[in-house]
Amino acid sequence: MAKKTSGVVGFWSDEHKLLDAAKKTYAAGFRHFDSITPFPIHGMDQATGIKSSKIPWVTFFGGLTGATFGATFTYWTSAVNYRLVVGGKPLDFFNALPGYIPIIFECTILFAALSSVAAMFILNKLPKVDPPIIDPDLTCSKFALFIPDTESNYSADKAEEHFRSIGASDVRKVSEF
Amino acid sequence: MGSFQLQKYTMSHRAKILCWVSVAIGVITFLAGLKFQSDRIWFSYLIGYFFTVSLALGGLFFTSFNHVTKAGWSVPVRRIAEAFSGFLPIAVFLTIPLLFGAKKLYLWLDLQAVASDPLLEMKASYLNQGFFHIRLLLFFGLWLFFAWKLVSNSLKQDETGDKNLTVQNVKYSIAFLIVFALSYSLFSIDVLMSLEPHWFSTMFGVYTFAGLFHSFLAMLALFTIGLINNGTYKGIVNENHVHDIAKFMWAFTIFFAYIGFSQYMLIWYANLPEETIFFLHRAHGGWFQVSVALFFVKFLIPFLALAPRAAKRSLCHVRNVALLILASQFLDYFWLIFPNYNHEKVVLPTWEVGVLIGFLGAFVLQAKMFLSKNNTVPVKDPRLDEALHHHV
Repeated sequence: MAKKTSGVVGFWSDEHKLLDAAKKTYAAGFRHFDSITPFPIHGMDQATGIKSSKIPWVTFFGGLTGATFGATFTYWTSAVNYRLVVGGKPLDFFNALPGYIPIIFECTILFAALSSVAAMFILNKLPKVDPPIIDPDLTCSKFALFIPDTESNYSADKAEEHFRSIGASDVRKVSEF
Repeated sequence: MGSFQLQKYTMSHRAKILCWVSVAIGVITFLAGLKFQSDRIWFSYLIGYFFTVSLALGGLFFTSFNHVTKAGWSVPVRRIAEAFSGFLPIAVFLTIPLLFGAKKLYLWLDLQAVASDPLLEMKASYLNQGFFHIRLLLFFGLWLFFAWKLVSNSLKQDETGDKNLTVQNVKYSIAFLIVFALSYSLFSIDVLMSLEPHWFSTMFGVYTFAGLFHSFLAMLALFTIGLINNGTYKGIVNENHVHDIAKFMWAFTIFFAYIGFSQYMLIWYANLPEETIFFLHRAHGGWFQVSVALFFVKFLIPFLALAPRAAKRSLCHVRNVALLILASQFLDYFWLIFPNYNHEKVVLPTWEVGVLIGFLGAFVLQAKMFLSKNNTVPVKDPRLDEALHHHV
């Protein structure tokens, strides 16, 4: 399904060595490499140079859209399209606002939440039905760095040499998965 | 135990003078007020009194819920919260003047007014002087007991390192949380809600609680950042801990708005004359603008200012927002209390600020002296190590 990618993968025996290796790889000028680990490692975001996620912005503007939608929709239904006085409350927007706020609030939450989940799916290219398997042990006991061929000035030999020079216990070329 | 060099904190000479000058300003304002503004000054006194009692109780509340949740990150700053609760014994003495001024504050203490008002007569079995005094005694007795237990156990652990003291404190904390929920609600009803004895709101207790915790967190953030900046917390507390405090501040900014609005909407919707009087008094003569300002300074500005992750990790930024929150908390108490004295028009809160400076001076002085006398972190707490490696 996804575009086929080849690259070079290097293995390390524990997370401290991997974190160190990631910092060295970043310092060596690689920018598109990724770490593959059985559990999250503190400091890995900075070490691999991952920028903070864009999802908060989607949430924020999703929420604003929801609030605007909630405000106009409640006003339109109760004061424009089908004017109905309930409990003697006023109908103009400003004075009737307290009654609209719960719905505005709910719409804000709904839009913010759904747009965040949608953005997460899109940015992570989910759903992935055929994820590549580099090594089955990467989900339980192994730690790896992966340099894809999308890296600028990519050369498999150079990447392999780099991994060996910073002490990878094992280096493999993976291609066309 | 992780390795860190515990720095001793000593209150600077300048800070001491500043605190004593603040106390003096408060006392002079109050005495002058007794002479020139003998009615209004009691409302000003009540603002300062309620503000600082709430901060002190906030410290006790924070200490106890962190014990109950067995929180690791908050262990070092828990000592600051414990320092805050040391204000409670002073608050007992500050209650005594309030009892003398109570006749000027509470209509229900005027027996003639009660006799001519059927609604007040029906409430007299609860709102009467004797029971009022008993309740205050009971509340302060309970608060002092739990403050004494929780803080002295924590200080004892600094010496002995006995882990059983932590287990003991969890039990006291569970009991205190229940006591706190009931007593602080009733305390708010007694000293604030009954200023307008016809009025009632089922959400009043949780509204004042929102303010208590909001302002407490702001004060906690100020103390934490102060101790980081002067090097006392070097190697112990860093921006990760401030990040967590700021997250709390952000959450309770929303909580305040949620509770404030819920209280308003229930009253707006039901439209009962005894209930709406509260908001009618705060919707005319300039009070409307104050009500709207409260929405901006206590909710919208802190909400937007603390939303980004980087904002919550910047010590300088968090300090500024904390100062704004404390100022907005004053505005909130001013808005709650002052219209009961005069709802015709808004006046500049000069006397109120003067008295509040005195209360805050005493509060900060007490807290800083506590931190000078004791370790600034619970050094032998079993969960301290977790806090040293805290990372968010």
